[in-house]
Amino acid sequence: MAKNKVKIAVKDLNLWYGDKHALHGLNIELYKNKITALIGPSGCGKSTFLRCLNRMNDLITSVRVEGEVVIDGKNIYDKDVDEVSVRKRIGMVFQQPNPFPKSIYENVAYAPLKHGIVKKGSGCDELVEQSLRSAGIWNEVKDILKEPGTGLSGGQQQRLCIARTIAVKPDVILMDEPTSALDPISTEKIEALMLELKKEYTIITVTHNMQQAARIADMTAFFHLGDLIEYDETEKIFINPTQKKTEDYITGRFG
Amino acid sequence: MDKNNIFYDPSLKRRHLKSKLFKYFTLFSLVVSLVFLAIFLLDMVLKGSSAVQQTYIQVEVSYNQESIDSYRDAVAKKYLNLLSRAALREIPNQIQKNPSLMGTKQVLWMLADDQVDMYMKEYYYKIDEKDMKTLEELVKNGMVDKKFNTIFFTHGDSKSPEYSGILSAFIGTILTLAVTMLVAFPIGVATAVYLEEFSKQNWWSEFLEININNLAAIPSILFGLLGLAIYINVLGLPRSSALVGGLTLALMTLPIIVVSSRAALRSVPASIRQAGYALGLTKVQVVKDHVIPLAFPGIMTGNIIGLAHAMGETAPLIIVGMIAFIPDSPTSVMEAATVMPAQLFTWAGMPERAYIERTAAGILVLLSLLISLNSLAVYLRKKFEVKW
Amino acid sequence: MATFESKHKYAHLQEDVIKYFLILAATISILTTFGILFSILFEAIEFFKLKSFVYFFSGTEWTPGVENSQFGALPIFAGTFMITAIAMAVALPIGLGSAIYMSEYSTPNARNVLKPLLEILAGIPTVVYGFFAAITVAPFIVKVATTVGIEASFNSALASGVVMGIMIIPYISSLSDDVISAVPDSLRKGSLALGMTKAETIMDIVIPSALPGIISATLLGISKALGETMIVVMAAGLRPNLSWNILEDMTTVTVRIVDALTGDQAFNSPATLSAFALGLALFVVTLILNVVSVRMIQKFKEKYKMSSL
Repeated sequence: MAKNKVKIAVKDLNLWYGDKHALHGLNIELYKNKITALIGPSGCGKSTFLRCLNRMNDLITSVRVEGEVVIDGKNIYDKDVDEVSVRKRIGMVFQQPNPFPKSIYENVAYAPLKHGIVKKGSGCDELVEQSLRSAGIWNEVKDILKEPGTGLSGGQQQRLCIARTIAVKPDVILMDEPTSALDPISTEKIEALMLELKKEYTIITVTHNMQQAARIADMTAFFHLGDLIEYDETEKIFINPTQKKTEDYITGRFG
Repeated sequence: MDKNNIFYDPSLKRRHLKSKLFKYFTLFSLVVSLVFLAIFLLDMVLKGSSAVQQTYIQVEVSYNQESIDSYRDAVAKKYLNLLSRAALREIPNQIQKNPSLMGTKQVLWMLADDQVDMYMKEYYYKIDEKDMKTLEELVKNGMVDKKFNTIFFTHGDSKSPEYSGILSAFIGTILTLAVTMLVAFPIGVATAVYLEEFSKQNWWSEFLEININNLAAIPSILFGLLGLAIYINVLGLPRSSALVGGLTLALMTLPIIVVSSRAALRSVPASIRQAGYALGLTKVQVVKDHVIPLAFPGIMTGNIIGLAHAMGETAPLIIVGMIAFIPDSPTSVMEAATVMPAQLFTWAGMPERAYIERTAAGILVLLSLLISLNSLAVYLRKKFEVKW
Repeated sequence: MATFESKHKYAHLQEDVIKYFLILAATISILTTFGILFSILFEAIEFFKLKSFVYFFSGTEWTPGVENSQFGALPIFAGTFMITAIAMAVALPIGLGSAIYMSEYSTPNARNVLKPLLEILAGIPTVVYGFFAAITVAPFIVKVATTVGIEASFNSALASGVVMGIMIIPYISSLSDDVISAVPDSLRKGSLALGMTKAETIMDIVIPSALPGIISATLLGISKALGETMIVVMAAGLRPNLSWNILEDMTTVTVRIVDALTGDQAFNSPATLSAFALGLALFVVTLILNVVSVRMIQKFKEKYKMSSL
């Protein structure tokens, strides 16, 4: 445990949807170059928590957040932090693949060009290729870069979305049930990709699929009704949980 | 800026500014649209409000044989140019209607000429010097007054602006719209019922659908060409009549009624139909006794909206001649008639300044009617709205 | 059992009668379209028997009513085009801007108020707009032009174009608002999660996604402008004028149709029949615009699997 480097430190994080207290004073440290899986029954707050990490909850007007999310020593909820730049550094992949209605090339190149990471031309081409390669989809699309991204299969679309996220060169990638809409073969590819990606990025993923968490996650956090019940190494959580609720959930007694 | 702030990105400043400007641009466009609406309504109210009152002059009217021979002798000569010709012309008629007036002299408030009215309302006017002196004296003696303009609501068109009103155009509108709805309502609803309940998915129903869609997009003036070529030239129906106007508008209103009635029918859930079939009812029975009654409020709403559309339409009616000069209200659909928007069009083209306030006032009347109709439609929709 | 049978037959007969009545009613709408097409077409053919077809579309002299009358409609088409262009220059940015504000920035409650408010503009009779253009806007434009030292006509193309633009705003804004709102939220989130600003998301992702619908709305607006009659009859000129100066008076197809049919010319004179030739041109162009517009919106619906718009 000692060699784990803390990437994100969450301190006393509370969140309200209007009057509803949805997250109750969470404290958790997420580690660099690890995959952390957030598990728990529906409505437990795991996705809400995930969206706190790149301030996507700011888009919902009724949401109020208190507490700190410190990333690389800076609280992203500080007044002098621009949420747009937070999202640039903390990428996100969604449950439903959502490629833009543009060409595959443009899907990947769009954000880096806007952010000024690259200029149009060979630099951009290179970045697109590199991102698509990292997302493990280059060989499938290299000849159809001009085709619309929406024409790909679901699993390919999701890998395109990952490529799109990587292209911005984030530090952290948040994944919100990235495989729940996909078939088993596509899921396997994405899982393999995640294991590959953790070498460079810190990955935090929400999943409904316990086996998936067990297969790929280094750390697992179990949420229930807005509380963080237990957080430990995945092996420990699955084999020897300390909390009764965790055990009940993992053994399928509720969920 | 904090040097430790790893999220500090100076390039974002420009992008945020752009984002803000974009938002302001969209807000600005919305505000501009609403300001247009406000300016427009305010302009009509300002221009039309003075028509609420009309100027009258207190003069002595003598009812005798000379007045019958020439209305010019009914009042003192010096007042002649200040009074409404059209109103004076009515004096012989008054005697005819009420013979006991004969041989009497009465001090009455007589309708003033439109130029006097314009003078009293402080608009541009044209009155010659001699008459001006008489008028000023009358004003000083309190013999000139503005009274509520009943003429506007009780008279038809007139060549004298002060004596013209919206009534015959209003009656014409009612007759025309009656024809329109009598034709468009049954055909429109029947078409909707056919398309929604009976037609099968084939080239014919698809063709019908495309056709109705296109019909809705054809410029209204072309319906006027149809009315002129078919109703008047081929069928020989009377030009300028409410019948021809109504039939022309009926074809225009048809697509609106079909589309909204279909939406109303579609909102009746399939379970109602299935329940009917399960009771052994035929398709016609299910539609007639169960689906149509449930969809009826929605169908009515669509019809009212179609009616409001037809009420404001002018161009095709001009083509079929409904801009005739109509001083007396028509009594049948075969007579020459005009409608409110066409009346407004005629007035707007008149050179006399006094017609402008009447046009604006007529516009306010027309808009109030349209707003009432649309509110009725909204009310009906709200009242009978059923959530399935 | 026998009575049951006959009743059954009677019921079937009744059903058939009703069904045939419904089919007949549905046919009327088709008859109307063909009625319009043929009544215009036949009279237009009469016209082209008397006057040159080629000159109609290429000539620049429009002199009906005189001896040896000329019917070159080019200046009329040009005037129609100019006024439509002015109208769209007003309606497109304002209508689209309003739609974006309503669907992307305002709260749902505000949108429920704003949208019907804008749609009032579409419910105002065109004769009322015509009056507004002729009595208020045109003199205002002349006044402004005079103060800056330019000459402007009281029948300027600008006045009728601008007022027509105001009229068309809700046609653009309503449909655009519908299609923009129909763009799935996941696309917005995807873009924002990449660190895009809201405006960038709207401009680069949302608008391109809604583009078929927006184009459809624009074509519909153009079709409305081309066919609009009362505003131009009341506020634009009668003089066929081939000019780029929007402060000059210009005439349109619809103005000349009204003028030709309200005059006291004999019905079979070329001057009267010219209205049908102009009407035919208007019919064909607006029909094409509408067909393309419907195609575009269908494409949009298919793309986002929408059942109704």
